[in-house]
Amino acid sequence: MSEVALLRLEGVSKTYRGGTRPAVDNLSLEVRAGEIFGFLGPNGAGKTTTIKMVVGLLKADRGTILVNGHDVARDSVAAKADIGYVPDNPDLYDRLTGIEYLNLVADIFGVPRDERRRRVAELLEMFELESAARDIIQSYSHGMKQKLALTGALLHEPRVFILDEPMVGLDPRASRLFKDMMRSHCDKGHTVFFSTHILEVAERLCDRVGIINRGRLVACGTVEELRNRRKQADETLEDIFLELTEAGEAS
Amino acid sequence: MTRRVLSLVLAQLNMNFAISHSRYYYLKKRQRLWEPVLIVLGIGGAAAMLAIGIYTAASYYYSAAAAVGQGAVTLTLGILLSQVLVLILGFVLVIAVFYFSNDLGILIPFPLRPAEVLVSKFAVILANEYVGLAVFIVPVLVAYGVRAGVSAVPYVVSSVLVFLALPVVPLVLAAIPAILLMRVVGLSRRKDTLAMIGGFLFIAVVVVFQFLVQTKAPGVGEEAEFLAKMLATADSLVDIVGARFPPSIWATKALALSGTWQGLLNLGIFLAVGALGFVALLAIGDRVFYQGVLSGFEAGATRGARRVGKVRAATYVSRSPVVSLAVAEMKLFTRTPVFVLNGFTGFVIFPVMLVAMFFVRSTPEMARLWDALFAIPGLAAIGTLVIAGYFFILTAMSSIPFTAFSREGRRNIWIPRSFPATGKTVALGKAVGAEIMIALGAIPGVAVLEYLVRLPVLSVVAGIILGIMSSFVLCVCGVLFDMWRPMLNWTDQQKAVKSNLNVVAGMLVGVGVVGLLGVAVSFFIKLGFPAWGIVAGVAGVLAILLAALMKLLGTIADKLWSALEI
Repeated sequence: MSEVALLRLEGVSKTYRGGTRPAVDNLSLEVRAGEIFGFLGPNGAGKTTTIKMVVGLLKADRGTILVNGHDVARDSVAAKADIGYVPDNPDLYDRLTGIEYLNLVADIFGVPRDERRRRVAELLEMFELESAARDIIQSYSHGMKQKLALTGALLHEPRVFILDEPMVGLDPRASRLFKDMMRSHCDKGHTVFFSTHILEVAERLCDRVGIINRGRLVACGTVEELRNRRKQADETLEDIFLELTEAGEAS
Repeated sequence: MTRRVLSLVLAQLNMNFAISHSRYYYLKKRQRLWEPVLIVLGIGGAAAMLAIGIYTAASYYYSAAAAVGQGAVTLTLGILLSQVLVLILGFVLVIAVFYFSNDLGILIPFPLRPAEVLVSKFAVILANEYVGLAVFIVPVLVAYGVRAGVSAVPYVVSSVLVFLALPVVPLVLAAIPAILLMRVVGLSRRKDTLAMIGGFLFIAVVVVFQFLVQTKAPGVGEEAEFLAKMLATADSLVDIVGARFPPSIWATKALALSGTWQGLLNLGIFLAVGALGFVALLAIGDRVFYQGVLSGFEAGATRGARRVGKVRAATYVSRSPVVSLAVAEMKLFTRTPVFVLNGFTGFVIFPVMLVAMFFVRSTPEMARLWDALFAIPGLAAIGTLVIAGYFFILTAMSSIPFTAFSREGRRNIWIPRSFPATGKTVALGKAVGAEIMIALGAIPGVAVLEYLVRLPVLSVVAGIILGIMSSFVLCVCGVLFDMWRPMLNWTDQQKAVKSNLNVVAGMLVGVGVVGLLGVAVSFFIKLGFPAWGIVAGVAGVLAILLAALMKLLGTIADKLWSALEI
């Protein structure tokens, strides 16, 4: 793992219009090259808001977000070029075929023809989507849409791969495949930042985790570091998560 | 059954008119209060102006018709036109609301009969028609009531009942073929394409029918016979004009003879026919409605039938982002039946109207009119401007550029927003996509015009170039406007293109550009420009406008794009 931060958030805050409290409150964290970072938190904690700000779907009220050194607010195009993003519910263009969607994404991300041919073939084979690629997306199951969204997001080998609840809708086989793929993506020196509710996955897969509650980062580090900090060596990530988030609720 | 249908209808109307949504934002959260103000001032003002105009026209028309004892024909024409409008627009609405609503996936698993779901969907369409019809037919009813000096109470009661029943018959006439069409095309793999073709065929047939109704007026040499027939009895013109569509006669007589047994009888027939039609629709719908809807859920997949190797040979075309976005825009639009049936209707109606005008009403007088037309000096240059104007009108009327981002909806807007593309690139891609669709859609109309008028090739080519320039001005304006205020929250695709205020804004922009060009043309005429000089002048004005717009695009598109939060 490198010390180079591919994703850095500094004092990021966001309050929705009409909202009484910030959805994200003074959030700072960094994700290094070669690292899988799990972003954990209960419902409504601010995970999706944070992710949307990183990928440019929402504007932060305060703070700075840097993707591979590019400021998302000032140089959004360069920042987005380094991101591969899959939202929690990947609604794609139902009326395009899978291959048309991938061609569109490849064009926009400037993936050269030969490389796109190789990458598309490789990813479609990996996700077992080859035979469906020329069907319209409307005909896909939820899991297939999820896999196609992942394929599109990985086409340009993004430095920062961002996923919102990526395991939802994937069958066990695809889920295993996907976890392997996340690891190999990081092994190439890239980074993966994903939110999840499945704490076992986070515990097994992530190099580091961050726990967010009520918009604030309440813990960040390796699972081992979190255990040591709490001086409870036998605690699972689930125990830590529940204690930290319940403490937040109580306050 | 009645209770759950009522509950369903109320819920559908609530969603359609965004009642709870408005209550939540405007009354509870007190946010976006400018929206209702804008709606009341903008749409309410425009509707009031339109209603006053229709009232004035109907009053004048009544005076002229009453002079020959035919005053009631004012009602017949108003009712007939309203019903034809409902028939044409109703078909598209029925297909959109019955088959492409987002909530069908929720409603179908409910323990409801197909007819019950159909009732709730029909109620939504009916409610929308009432809103439109109120502006159109109420002024005619008021004008007749005031001018004819009818007795108030029976006339008002009859008017209310006729108004409520008015859209039922044409909607039933649109809905029955629509559900049968969707049932039949549902059996095919190319159901979307067939639905679109069927939709346009229906619209073309209705337009031709409308011309056939109009040809009931006398031809040359038939005036004496026609006048004698018309003057023989009061209101005989009502029967003549309404002969092709009897409900308009029954409604007219129900109103004109309100308070009499004859009026009551006609009212009874009008209401009974509407009720019978509705029952017939429910009976047919109960059998075939769900079959059409369910086939829509089965998108055509051919996975089993295709060999894996063929996918590897798929074409990987590498294109610039603008071209790629334009291509995606065209594919997404043309593969969505609701968008096509709304956006391309003008492309079909105008050529069909031209053909119908020429062939259905082909008389020696018409031939003389054409001859006179050919003798106009500078016809070639005028033809160029007419073609350019045709492109422009089609663009202003089609919702394509003005809903470019709205159509993405909340579901899909994340895709272009997460692309590493500038706002300018995205806007340009969408504007180019819209322009190509409009330019291709204008070709049939231009071809028919060319066939009828035989303009020189140079004139047609110049017209197309000028047309593309004028149309692109609107496309860029429309895309920028929709980028600024996209309507992303919609429950069905129809709402994205039809209930979108940006389309109205587009028409206003169109009026503005036409006004500017009109001023320029009158200036050129004053300067004594020859016909082709005026064409060149218009081209110059459009070039300047385009250059200014491209500059504006470069300046504000990125700001608008980054300000768009999801």
